[in-house]
Amino acid sequence: MNKENRYDTWYRLDNSGKIFPEVSNHRETNVFRVAITLSEPVDKDILQLAVDGILSRYPMFKVKLKKGLFWSYFDHNSKPFFIEEMSHYICGEMNAKYNNGYLFKVMYRNSDIAVEMFHSLADGAGLIMLIKALVYEYLKLTGKEVKSDNIVPTKHQKPSMEEYEDANAKYYNSKNRKHVPEERAYRIKGTPLSDDLTGLISGIVSTNKIINLARESNLTVTEYLTALMMSVIYKTQIQYREHIPSNQKPVKIFVPVNLRKHFPSNTLRNFSNFVKASMIMIEDDITFENLKILVKEQFEKGMTKKELIRKMSENVAFEKNAFLRFTPYFLKKYALKIGYNMLGMKLNTMSLTNIGKIDFPESMQPYIVDLTAAVYSGKYNTLNLAVISYQDRFKMTFTRSIIETTIEKEFFRHFTSLGFDVEVESNYVEEY
Amino acid sequence: MRYCDKCKIEIKTNKPYCPLCQQNLSFEETKTVIEKYPEYVPPTRTLYPLTKKAMMFFTFTSIIILLVINIIDYQGQLWSVIPIGSILFFWFLVSFGILSKHNIAYKLAFLTSLLIGLLVLIDEYSFQEGWSYNYLLPLLLLSCNLAISVIILVKRIYYRDYIIYLLTILVLSLVPIILVFFGIVTIKWPAVVAFALAVSILLFIIFFFPKSIKDELKKRFHA
Repeated sequence: MNKENRYDTWYRLDNSGKIFPEVSNHRETNVFRVAITLSEPVDKDILQLAVDGILSRYPMFKVKLKKGLFWSYFDHNSKPFFIEEMSHYICGEMNAKYNNGYLFKVMYRNSDIAVEMFHSLADGAGLIMLIKALVYEYLKLTGKEVKSDNIVPTKHQKPSMEEYEDANAKYYNSKNRKHVPEERAYRIKGTPLSDDLTGLISGIVSTNKIINLARESNLTVTEYLTALMMSVIYKTQIQYREHIPSNQKPVKIFVPVNLRKHFPSNTLRNFSNFVKASMIMIEDDITFENLKILVKEQFEKGMTKKELIRKMSENVAFEKNAFLRFTPYFLKKYALKIGYNMLGMKLNTMSLTNIGKIDFPESMQPYIVDLTAAVYSGKYNTLNLAVISYQDRFKMTFTRSIIETTIEKEFFRHFTSLGFDVEVESNYVEEY
Repeated sequence: MRYCDKCKIEIKTNKPYCPLCQQNLSFEETKTVIEKYPEYVPPTRTLYPLTKKAMMFFTFTSIIILLVINIIDYQGQLWSVIPIGSILFFWFLVSFGILSKHNIAYKLAFLTSLLIGLLVLIDEYSFQEGWSYNYLLPLLLLSCNLAISVIILVKRIYYRDYIIYLLTILVLSLVPIILVFFGIVTIKWPAVVAFALAVSILLFIIFFFPKSIKDELKKRFHA
């Protein structure tokens, strides 16, 4: 069925998307960003044209959030979408009041195009598809000779129904959905930034070097970074302070897993789950080597097909629950909120998102310089890390809602001590 | 490119210090670079918050004064609900009806229901004359029905956003006719006229736009 340009289209929220509208606010925004740096300054009028073109190809993004009697849903948005100039806020609240109800933003500044998205709409992989299509369209409109090479979706393809599917529900297994209770995680403390500001520090290293470094320890890059992160948290926050009760909680690193790589699906919507590295760090001397072994073991255990389906089904089970399903929305809202406060947010110390290596067709590569990914940080996850790589630029971006930068400093000093060249970018939030 | 010799990192900025360790940065060339991220511009304060505060203050004090006078000089009627109700409705009219960005059909449906509720309360607690049930309830619903229908006809591209509110008001228009059967409403013609109009509009939608009404219900009530 062709859903293009139909005004009566609407979409159910996918399973993971259902929780976010209820638990998001100006502090916990559940917004993430991918920014792309082009080789020349962005022309805002052409960018606006490109976005308009893309929106007609991806009607799934041309939506606003509406409330029904039992669930909220995405309804076709007939208002125009406007791009905006980049502001200081990183992954700020997606406020329907200021954005004609759209759940994503396209921003520009000099040669940068940044796209921020509310997590209900899509996950990282969905956003990457959108940004690829957008940049392709933009370059095309500026008169560049670019080819899509079937890597980049173009606006001339027809949307397929598969792009809209809720893949979580497809793999739901009612026999494998046991809930495993978890302990609350250690929380990185610090002086909160005022006005919901978010600090951003990214470090760029060589992709090949870091892959080799991880391979030396027989780890994947994500595993290596997770182990490093745990060791840095231990060194800067916990070591020699193990007697403090709050330090006796496990440090848990939440690592999203793109399920499209494990289960066949082409959906643009949320289809990700997670693995966690978790450890109670009360021993006297925890070395980086210990942590590498621990992380590898925990990730292998968490990434088995059976475990991934269990986690998926555990989430899907709540929306299949007949009692909750037929509770009116205004009551259900509170149930979801309470559930998420108890179960969701406080279970992670921080999140480490590896979006991975992004490929562009050869004809587009000369025009693209750099990519940046960032996720929001809030009251509970005061520090988050997002990783993205393009060609030989491996970019690790920390976002924080506290002033302190000890963890970032220690993290990047690990690389410089190994002889890496590190280039740092910051939004200098501490000045405000 | 500036360089922090303590962290051993390179950084492209005009700022004199390192974002990681706050140490002074060394640099060779004096060329200014464009910062990667824009500066923070705090939201500019307008007169509006102060006006709002002042109005809030006067609202609350006047409500208290009205109540106090009414209670001191109580003669069986709570006449103060008339001015207090008007003040509260004024607040809703300004903040919800004018300043908010909700769609116009929602505003109309909501304000009409609120107005009916307030007027019924005023009627009940002041002199119990029954004008609110007999005239205002059906006639307000009738005019709201007409208004939303006209809006839908005029701004047809937004009908998807409006139709649910029309349906709500249509359903509410059954209330006066039910009250007639219970004998609460004594003057019948306004209730009957409101009901007749509501049924006609409903039939019009069902006959001419059956799909839109079906889609809307499916969307709003999916479980």
